[in-house]
Amino acid sequence: MKINKDTDVAKRMRARNSARLRNNIDAWILMLPMVIILYLFVWRPTVLGGVWSFFNMRAYTVLDFCGLDNYIKVLSHTQFLPMLWNTVQYVLWSLIVGFLPPLFIAIMLNEIIHFKSGFRVLIYIPAVIPGIAAMLMWYFMYYPDQTGLLNMLLGKLGIKSFGWLNNPDFTILGIIIYMTWKGFAGTMLLYYASLQSVSVEVYEAALIDGAGPFKRLWHVTRPAMEGLLLLNLVRQIISVFQIMEQPLAMTGGGPNGASTSLSYQLYQYGFNSGGKGTGQAMALGVIIFLILIVFTIFYFKLNKKVEDRY
Amino acid sequence: MKKHISKQTGVLSTSDLKTASGKLIYWIFFALLVMVSIASVVPAVWTVLTSFKDTHEIYSEFSFFPKDMSINRIVTRITESWNYLQLGDSFINTIVLSIGNLIVSIVVCGFGGYVLSKLKPKGSKLIFTLVVWTMMMPGQIRMVPNYISWLHFPFAGESAYGINLLDTFWPMWLSAGADTFAVLLFKNAFDGLSSSYVEAAKIDGCTNYGVFFKIMLPLVMPVIIYQSINVLSSAWSDFFTPLLVLDRNVVVPLKIYRLQTDTSIQMNTYFMALVFASVPPFIIFAVFQKRILGGINIGGVKG
Repeated sequence: MKINKDTDVAKRMRARNSARLRNNIDAWILMLPMVIILYLFVWRPTVLGGVWSFFNMRAYTVLDFCGLDNYIKVLSHTQFLPMLWNTVQYVLWSLIVGFLPPLFIAIMLNEIIHFKSGFRVLIYIPAVIPGIAAMLMWYFMYYPDQTGLLNMLLGKLGIKSFGWLNNPDFTILGIIIYMTWKGFAGTMLLYYASLQSVSVEVYEAALIDGAGPFKRLWHVTRPAMEGLLLLNLVRQIISVFQIMEQPLAMTGGGPNGASTSLSYQLYQYGFNSGGKGTGQAMALGVIIFLILIVFTIFYFKLNKKVEDRY
Repeated sequence: MKKHISKQTGVLSTSDLKTASGKLIYWIFFALLVMVSIASVVPAVWTVLTSFKDTHEIYSEFSFFPKDMSINRIVTRITESWNYLQLGDSFINTIVLSIGNLIVSIVVCGFGGYVLSKLKPKGSKLIFTLVVWTMMMPGQIRMVPNYISWLHFPFAGESAYGINLLDTFWPMWLSAGADTFAVLLFKNAFDGLSSSYVEAAKIDGCTNYGVFFKIMLPLVMPVIIYQSINVLSSAWSDFFTPLLVLDRNVVVPLKIYRLQTDTSIQMNTYFMALVFASVPPFIIFAVFQKRILGGINIGGVKG
């Protein structure tokens, strides 16, 4: 009797174990394509980028270990500090020009009754235009003679043509204005959705307590949006710091390197140096990585906090 | 606006809109939105109008509107430019590219998100942590190593057996599956579905695959559509990876990028090329407008 029961349990255990094993195998088969692709396209190249940054390269062939040579070459490049400063300038301008407008537009759109859906469609148009077409469009809007839209308008007002992207003091701001124009609608929709989840009761309670529009904005809307805003702030810093395609397509890093960002320089090292800069490209990649990892860790900490609160 | 506006209480309320200051705020908002809309639209309108102009009109007259905007003129400008630009092949290439991206992205990331959310086999915790961490990692560090591996795929360096993927769509197709953002998007969508569906179906004798296709998939359709829109639109706008990879089989964004250094092209034709390149994304937008503008809620990804 007792022995029978034991074998019964053992049998059931074995059956359950084999079922679990089968489930595990099934699950892994389903997940395998993702794991393989992430390994080949993300995880392995990230590690190799770190390892190979310490190696001599001949074009795309790995030669021998060379210690910190690549790093020394990157850091002692006479333009390294200016490029780092350019990159920081991109980030600062993007925060000044581009951080708050999407929020304000979302708030206004949330309050408007007339022509609301019309506004939404019109405002979203820049986000629909493919990135490269929009960049070249703006390249010509900024054109330094009156063929360009902006100088044409200045000309109509009787003002002399301005250099725009050809002006080293304006070129970064010009690219940031383009990026704000291109990207604000997407962020705006994110805020808009979040605004709509603020409950009407809270606003009504505030109204009954005698809070005017500005008080309600500050005491009801602001707390509801704070978390998302902070997250977006860090995300924007991380993504603008990696800016590369816009200078590549709009200015070619010029005039005289005035719009060259670190990532754009990495592209130059990697693909436009006749194969001499491949090692430096990876070293620069590691440097960018180290700078941004600080923000990334902060982002995750923040994300956790924001989620815990809601 | 004779009658009073009534609205849901927000920053402004119905009672505010009866006061002078409330009305003022409301119409300032309205005016600002009009200005934002104009700023959003003018560059695009200018591009379209310039593409209809004559070259000498662009270079010497500097006016916003073209002189001749008859249907006839527009049609000739479109056909002239299309014949000159020879965009047919690159349009077909881009369609092929975007469909491949779409399939890989949905299948690979969809299954990945499903397993991480619902099946959770041994080791999936580690994979999930890696996915979350790679989502925020800068891509620059892997740009050159990736390129090197495409020369001898799937080997990381020099190898006699590797395949050279340059001038094929494989680097873009496979990269579409390396989208950690999409994996987390799908994982969150599946997280939102109760596990009791899975158990009930399993008791009824459904296999793991059956559960996925018959029960889960229809329920996450909105996320699939959202992701499809993203993938399709980005295939029509990304020029960077094609710039590294493609040479003869160009796609539309790369073709457009190369126009910038093409000195032989006329300005009006150049602008028409920008218009042509924007048509497919606008079609996608027109079809899915409600979903794009409305259902952004699912875009929020939790780590």
